[in-house]
This record gives sequence, C-alpha cells and structure tokens, in this order.
Amino acid sequence: MAAESQETLEEMLVELKDTSELMIDLAYSALLLQSKDLARELLELEEYFDGLHTRFELAVIGRKGNSIDEKGVLGLIRLGFAAETISDAAAEIAKIVLLEIPTHPVLRMAVTEAEDIVEMSHVREGSILDGKTLKELALEDKIGMKIIAIRRGLKWTYNPRESTVIHAGDLLVASGYAEGGEPFKRLASGELREI
Amino acid sequence: MKLILLDEERAETVMEFRPVRYRPMSVRGALKEMKKLSSLMVDLAYSSVLYRDHDLAEEVLELGDMADHLSYLLLMNASLVARDKRDAEQIAGILKAASSIHKMAGAARDIAMVELQGLSFHPSVQEAFKKVEERLVRTTIQPSSILDGRRIGDLKLEVSIGVDIIAVRRGKTWHVAPRADFKLVKGDIVHARGSDVGVGLFDRLGRGELKEVP
Repeated sequence: MAAESQETLEEMLVELKDTSELMIDLAYSALLLQSKDLARELLELEEYFDGLHTRFELAVIGRKGNSIDEKGVLGLIRLGFAAETISDAAAEIAKIVLLEIPTHPVLRMAVTEAEDIVEMSHVREGSILDGKTLKELALEDKIGMKIIAIRRGLKWTYNPRESTVIHAGDLLVASGYAEGGEPFKRLASGELREI
Repeated sequence: MKLILLDEERAETVMEFRPVRYRPMSVRGALKEMKKLSSLMVDLAYSSVLYRDHDLAEEVLELGDMADHLSYLLLMNASLVARDKRDAEQIAGILKAASSIHKMAGAARDIAMVELQGLSFHPSVQEAFKKVEERLVRTTIQPSSILDGRRIGDLKLEVSIGVDIIAVRRGKTWHVAPRADFKLVKGDIVHARGSDVGVGLFDRLGRGELKEVP
C-alpha cells in the first residue's frame, strides 16, 4: 500500500478514465475476435479497476475540506462511479464470449469499425521485442499495430512514449489492422524472429 | 422530466420526449449506431467535465435521448427476428450487448450531469488531464470557411494537422464518425480531436480565419 498511497488523486482519476476507455475497446475486440483470452484479460482488468476505484474514493474523502469543497467531493465521487459503470458494462460484454452465447454474425459485424482491432499479448523470454524501445520497433509502420497500453506487474501505462523499453513479462495492448493481429502475437510469443 | 440544477441562477430545463414508434431497421444498423453513439458520448462527457464545457454536456444529454430511442427500435426489430430456439440464443447475445452499450451511454450522461449540476472540482484535476489529453474542439463552419463544401477525406486533416473529425451535427441530425466522403457545409457543428496546436488550427479553418490547410 505504501507505493500506492504516493499516487495523487489526479493521477488516479486520469487512470480511471483511461482504463475505462481501454476496457470499452477491449470488450468490442473480444466480441469481434470471439477471444476468450481477451475476455478473461478484460475481467482481470475490471478487478484491477475496482481496486483503483476504491483507492480513488478514499483519497477523495481524505482530501475533503482540505483542498476540495463538498461539491468537488461529490463531483469526483460521481465521476468515479460513472467510470465504474462503464467498466462493468465492458466486462458484461466480455462475458457474452465466456458464456459461449452463440453470437450472431450481426453482432460481430456491428462492433467492427472498419478493420480496427485491439489485441493483447504477453512478451515471452526470447521474444525479439524484449529490451527494445517502441521507437526502435516501429510496429505501427511495419505491421500496422500501435502499442496503446502496457501492463508491467500491476502497473498500467497508457499511450506509452516512444522511449519506453519493452521487457519480457510485459503485457502489451495493441490496436490496428486485423491483419496485424497475428504477427503481433507471434512476435510477442517469440515465434516470429523478425519484423 | 426536469433537470434540477444546483446553481440557482440557472433556469430549470424541461426535456421534451419524442414518442417511440416501430420503424423497420436492421438490427445490425441499430447496434452499430448505438455503439458509435455511446462511444462518442463517453468521449464528449469526459471532455465536458474536464474543460468545464456546459454546452458540450448538454449535447451529451441530447445524444443520450437518441441512444434511448435507438435502444427501443433495436428491441422491437430484434424481437421480430427470433423464430426458434437457435434464433433466441443468438438474439440474446445481441440484446445483452445492446443493453451493456446502453449502460455506457447512461454512464456518459451521469458524467455530463457532474458538469451541468455545477459539481466542479479542484483546478488541479483539470490540470492533470491537460497534461495527458488530446483536446476536443467544437467549431461551427462559417460561410467564409474553406471547409464549406469539402469532403472530409479530401481535406486530409489527420495527416496535415493531426486532427480527426469525430462527429458532425447538422441542425438536429448527428453524423457520428463521418466517413471520408462526407461533405461539410456551412452551419455544421464539427467535433474534432487532436493536439492543442492541431485543434487550434482546425478552429481557425472553421471560422474562416485560416484560408488553407497548413
């Protein structure tokens, strides 16, 4: 808890918003790709989100009267609650996949916007991504996939910088063309040895 | 329904309701539209709070009414499709997804209400977002603007100034995520996203102050 308490209320709010928005994208992709892996990952993200939300609420209450007035406290609490509703709704969409509800092709057609997808993959030991910066890899130029988030341990980073170094064990979230999904996953797993 | 606002100087807003009647439409079309609407609402709602934009928050509520309307049309049209057990199973997935998407639209409305009810919070919160966020801008296309009569795809705004048009409002009609062949006309209210500099340039293009795309 010590490390977590250093997080400011502002940082937590930014993270709540970013996480809820990422969850929407992941939910639609899980549905589109009929991916149970993606759906399970989303449910884990929802648990993480719940923890973050609780820490955020405690921080808001802790700051009451100190630097935020009553209206401010209420506004922040409501904002957190709305983000939580979005996160829950995204998880519900993922559960459609996990419960093996037969999905009508209409459902998959409706959630795909052009050919954009979101994919997640762990970077395995021996992957050529390990130890490289996003700039060096230039995945967007080469396979049309942009890294939009990275999870390292319990910490999520959204819209990582070009200078960010990828490590084995990282969970990468990438968005881009459907055709880029397979090469992206095979690069992360170490199967594909060059970009 | 009335919206009770905390700030007493603001007049109460009375909302109008449009009756819902069955209209044939494809389930796919309705679902796709709901998804686009709810994503736009979440986007605009967060912005309305972070930038203290009252008008934007009101637009979110308006989009919310459209989402409500659409959710009924989707329910009606989907109910007509199911004929046997297999259909029912498949329709259940569609309705569940639609209801979750509708929930997101509801959450967006709640976020916009934070702004509309004047529950403003500490400026440090806005500052935190300005550091990481791309900006949204809302610009009305003036008659003197070079954007009048141009197709979105031809303008190549994403390449030249890094700005993406996410929605266009024409009178009472919303065009969410307009396609490349969508033609802008004077009077259109355009919602766009991009860097601080990019949205500034776009705003000047819309006002007619800037006469060519940089």
